[in-house]
Amino acid sequence: MSAVPAAPSSRPGSARPDKPPPPPFVLWGSLGLVGLTLVLGWDWEYGIGFSLRDIYDNLGRYNPVLEGVRNLDWSTLASPTVLAGFAETFQMAAIATILGGIVALPLALLNSVTGAPNTFVYVAVKNFNSFIRAIPDLIYAVFFVAAIGRGALPGVLALFFLSIAVIAKLTSDIVDGIDQGPVESARASGASHTQMVKTAVLPQILPGYTSFALYTFEINLRGSAVLGFVGAGGIGEVFNNYYQRGWYDRLVAVVIGFFVVVFIVDRISIAVRKRLL
Amino acid sequence: MARTSTGGMTDAQAQQRSEDIVRPEKPFNRFRWTVTITLLVLFFVTSATVDIELSQLAALPERTLFYLGLMYTPPDVTEAPSAITAMIESLGMAWIGTMIGAVVSFPLAFLAATNLFGKPVVFAARQILNFFRSVPEIVFLILLLPVTGLSPVTVALALGISSIGTLGKLGAEVIEGIEGGPVEAAAAAGGGRLQRIRWAVIPQVIPEIVALWLYRFEINIRNSAVAGAVGAGGIGTLLVRQIGQVREWAAAGTSLAIMVIITLLVDTISGRVRRRIIRGPTRAVDLGANAGEQPEGTGPGAGPKREGPTGSVGGGSFVPV
Repeated sequence: MSAVPAAPSSRPGSARPDKPPPPPFVLWGSLGLVGLTLVLGWDWEYGIGFSLRDIYDNLGRYNPVLEGVRNLDWSTLASPTVLAGFAETFQMAAIATILGGIVALPLALLNSVTGAPNTFVYVAVKNFNSFIRAIPDLIYAVFFVAAIGRGALPGVLALFFLSIAVIAKLTSDIVDGIDQGPVESARASGASHTQMVKTAVLPQILPGYTSFALYTFEINLRGSAVLGFVGAGGIGEVFNNYYQRGWYDRLVAVVIGFFVVVFIVDRISIAVRKRLL
Repeated sequence: MARTSTGGMTDAQAQQRSEDIVRPEKPFNRFRWTVTITLLVLFFVTSATVDIELSQLAALPERTLFYLGLMYTPPDVTEAPSAITAMIESLGMAWIGTMIGAVVSFPLAFLAATNLFGKPVVFAARQILNFFRSVPEIVFLILLLPVTGLSPVTVALALGISSIGTLGKLGAEVIEGIEGGPVEAAAAAGGGRLQRIRWAVIPQVIPEIVALWLYRFEINIRNSAVAGAVGAGGIGTLLVRQIGQVREWAAAGTSLAIMVIITLLVDTISGRVRRRIIRGPTRAVDLGANAGEQPEGTGPGAGPKREGPTGSVGGGSFVPV
């Protein structure tokens, strides 16, 4: 009974082995996480000065939003401006999603090794998509408002680019993950690149693509809330108007109305997307 | 008249017949047709009714090129330092926002996972997450402004609150994808629910959840532009001022370029780190994992993988449903 030692431990009498030190990646990664938070959160030249204490101290200040919540003005939801704002938001989101969806499909196909005819096109389109994605919708909106004037058109354009960014990104990811079998058999039977994409790639990605387009409609509805602040139409114009005047009783009512609308659309969209996939 | 042996038909007839036999009739896809027609109708109705003047649309290409010309012939590089400072502020809002979202969403993700909690808890947690997901950043921002004022901190808070929904939902999906073995082992050793979560669930999900944070950080960098709507700092505010208010086009050209470059740079770094987190070290020869594709669940820190590249955080993508 003398052959096997009780436990491979450095400490005699201890049954539990020593805990191994964390791998360098985990160690440095955690330090980086904490370090970045401190550097960017601290109150100095390059930090935003985040302080829970400040927030806590400010909670007791007079708060017009809470005042607005107490005297909600529901009647404002039925006013023509608000209804027109909601209608415009829907119109903008619908047009932008449909146009963006049409443009995004080829961009998504060319953004993948399988879908692109050659490496040059693949790299070019990939970079183009990243570029489109790097500019936020609000910046598109402010540019087009400055270029062609206020209204729904700059808003549609901003959401159009947002839609391209979202749909192309998500769809190209499923193009990368498709079953390569049909692609191979299309090539083996002598299909041209276009024929291959049409018969072997498209049928595999269409359900996902349609689902993403619907999802983008939800994103566009939500996105339209901010565009009005720079004059690009939609319900955001109403938000901005009430916010500038400090009419929080109406603002909060419209915000709640907006939330309900978005929530209902989300539910419908999710139900349809479940059916699709 | 070439006659074939098949019952006196011409070649053309024979081919036609063979096609009729070999190729089945294309099924009529009612769902696809409904979708297509609905979309067409929707598009034409909305386009016809929306308040867009045709003159605006006609002027679009020319005006766009004109102002792009003002921005980049040449851009005013003397404005670069202020743009970089503003961009750092944006990164700060995005990062702090992400951390706020991470901290709050972490417990919610567990509560929303069907394999850990019962139906009522999961349902309640999911509704909370849905709420945060449905409200756009700008709404949180204007509702918070009276509390913390026009400052980057307010933007960070707004970004954080709206990150809770997505982070929690995706986190819950990660948790639902774990392997049951360790949980069973912990249960067999007498671990309660909290102990099971601490020792069997968290170690499995933490890499993917941290990767989610980084992914959300990339999104929040873009979303931090929302500050520009009210003037709460960062690159968004700078660009809205330069383009929309004072119309310093050449300076705006520089700011825009800097924003795009830094955004893409951070994306690249963050994407690499995420891939490293999910896939483990590339040269993991001693662990028997090959450099390219790893089989499921191998490699240090490799969390459970959902099927295919679509679900993988390492690939930088999610399938939202």
